[in-house]
Amino acid sequence: MKTTITGEYIKEMLAKDMREDARKLLEYRDITIRIGTIPNAEGSAEANIGNTKVLAGVKLGVGEPMPDKPNEGNLMASAELLPLAAESFDVGPPTPEAIELARVTDRGIRAAGVVDLSKLFIEKDKVWNVFIDVYVLNYDGNLFDASALAAQAALSSCRMPKYDAAAETVIREGDLGRLPLANMVVSSTFGIMSDKIILDPNANEELFIDSRLTISTDGNNIRAMQKGLGGSGFTPKQVDTMMDVTLERSKDLRSMIKKSIGE
Amino acid sequence: MSGSGEKPVLIVDGKRLDGRLPGDIRPSRIEANVLKNAAGSAYIEWGNNKIMAAVYGPSEALPKHTSNPERAVIKCRYQMAPFSSLEEHGRSGPNRRSIEISKVIKEVFENAIITENFPGSEINIYVEVLQGDGGTRAAGVTAAAVAVAASGIPMTDLPYGVSIGKIGDQIVIDLNKIEDNYSDADVPIVISPRTGRILLLQMDGDMTKDEINRGIRMAADAGKMISKMQSDALKKQYMEISEKYKNEAPSYTPQAQK
Amino acid sequence: MQRIVVPGEKLEDKPLRIDEAFTEDGKTYSTIMSVYDEERKVLTPLEGMWYPRMGDQVVGVVAEDKLSVYFIDLNSPYKGLIFAKDCNDDLMAGDIIEASVKELDKTKTAILTRPRKLFGGKILYVNPAKIPRILGKGNTMIRQLTQLTQSSITVGLNGLVWIKGGKVDLATEAIVTIQQEAHTAGLTNRIKALLETGK
Repeated sequence: MKTTITGEYIKEMLAKDMREDARKLLEYRDITIRIGTIPNAEGSAEANIGNTKVLAGVKLGVGEPMPDKPNEGNLMASAELLPLAAESFDVGPPTPEAIELARVTDRGIRAAGVVDLSKLFIEKDKVWNVFIDVYVLNYDGNLFDASALAAQAALSSCRMPKYDAAAETVIREGDLGRLPLANMVVSSTFGIMSDKIILDPNANEELFIDSRLTISTDGNNIRAMQKGLGGSGFTPKQVDTMMDVTLERSKDLRSMIKKSIGE
Repeated sequence: MSGSGEKPVLIVDGKRLDGRLPGDIRPSRIEANVLKNAAGSAYIEWGNNKIMAAVYGPSEALPKHTSNPERAVIKCRYQMAPFSSLEEHGRSGPNRRSIEISKVIKEVFENAIITENFPGSEINIYVEVLQGDGGTRAAGVTAAAVAVAASGIPMTDLPYGVSIGKIGDQIVIDLNKIEDNYSDADVPIVISPRTGRILLLQMDGDMTKDEINRGIRMAADAGKMISKMQSDALKKQYMEISEKYKNEAPSYTPQAQK
Repeated sequence: MQRIVVPGEKLEDKPLRIDEAFTEDGKTYSTIMSVYDEERKVLTPLEGMWYPRMGDQVVGVVAEDKLSVYFIDLNSPYKGLIFAKDCNDDLMAGDIIEASVKELDKTKTAILTRPRKLFGGKILYVNPAKIPRILGKGNTMIRQLTQLTQSSITVGLNGLVWIKGGKVDLATEAIVTIQQEAHTAGLTNRIKALLETGK
């Protein structure tokens, strides 16, 4: 059921270390991941964090390498805040929020070296392009972590098409291998309100948090970060705490992805 | 109709490549109210098509000059996801095809929705094709009708869509992508089952007048199943809860006051 | 005999005047998802929306502050309007108010009167078709809810329910249950049991 809360109510609850949906401060909502929901895509996955629902689809195509990296494939991530996902999302060109979501998702995957781009070389001037499209189907806060989960699970379960050089065609069905991966990345997003840190803010909380931080990790090190929403930011100690929580939570998130792909 | 290369044999011994008879629709299912934020929503799997439809409103028509003081205006967007096809990655954003389809879907709902109940407002209908395999506008309308009904917006009927086509000399309904690519004609139609009236009709190809008449009859026959599927999807959630408590003593219902 | 009907579904083979239904060619059809009572010839909506009506008590969220007027989101196709001169409190976007509908202007905007600001708390957006069930016959259900949760609860006929203090989570759970099970038998007793055993 849709709810609206006042800032006053949230602050009252926070003073008692409570949240409006009865969660602890550093607790995620229920998370589910389903892979292969779009069989036409080489890789696909739907991630749900509470009522936030995100679908990621991966397509591969043959293209030209970047001039500075002639032996590597290319990776491109886009995100769409579909107007069916929330009353406030409109039809039209991508908003700064959609572009930020795409770039933060892209940066995590790129920085952690998730896709082994060196194995995506086909022949001179021909490499594989990997297109990741994040489709937001329902918005209830924390699109960043949901997108990271959906994109990673889609990549982890992605088929590797074959290129028939003689016929200059791509073979997308039949006996195919997996997209070569070298790493796995997940993220945790925090909000700060009344100088308290909350993990996985929902849509109501996002209206009142002061600053936001998304931290991406490969499980060992930090691979990308993005502060958002303006506000008065964080103390170094708060950043330290958020990094600790991210590394700790990444164990669960990684095992959820592994479980979803049957590992 | 866009297939290149050698035309595959699409019908053998009266059966289509996926085993269907000419008048059969693909196995399908509909689920109502799958998205939390929308006023109403529906997810349809129609063969290999996977489509999400949702409706928002009625709400104040914006910008103001789009509003109509006599009735609600219907706005519709149909779109295919860049990953929806088995072939190349698609381009995102509207194109001539998606803009035209959005328009013809909008016109279906301008008829089915009782728009004069909401003067000055707008109703937004979104059809997102997550995976496409031929017949997406028909399946999209079928899902959107469920989404609108689930939202509580009054309608005079639940329209459904299905396509008619011609493969060789055989009239068939509900063409999938391969059939569509190599067929001699493709005719998407939307029918209002209560009145039998046709609310969307497009065609491209080559068919005789008699063949089209026959195709429309086949579509209306299959439509009985599609209508039942829509209605079952809408009633399911209420039926399940009613069934659970059916043996309890009846308590107050609001209309008992009258 | 009661049955669940969808838009366009036939109710009667004769033309009858029934709310939320229409007649065509001598037959009567439903326009919305509802429960049809064949004996009493009454349709009870399962989904629905609220249209401003004179005298209705509503709860709304301030959407815009335009100096001399406030626009109020009422979860309806039509918005509410409060003249600043009718308002003792200084309102801001996001504030929650309770008020009643004084009149409708020609664009169906609801002119609200006697606004009262509701401080803090939270709002549940309930399907307006289920509000009669949340109030209960002679307000029995809402009285029971307030007593057993010790929460302040203000119900707007437009579907917004404001809750503050007491056992907010329990009150929320009870209201969600009423909304989901409004069309079923034995609801009053189940809600009573839920509230008495709830923490």
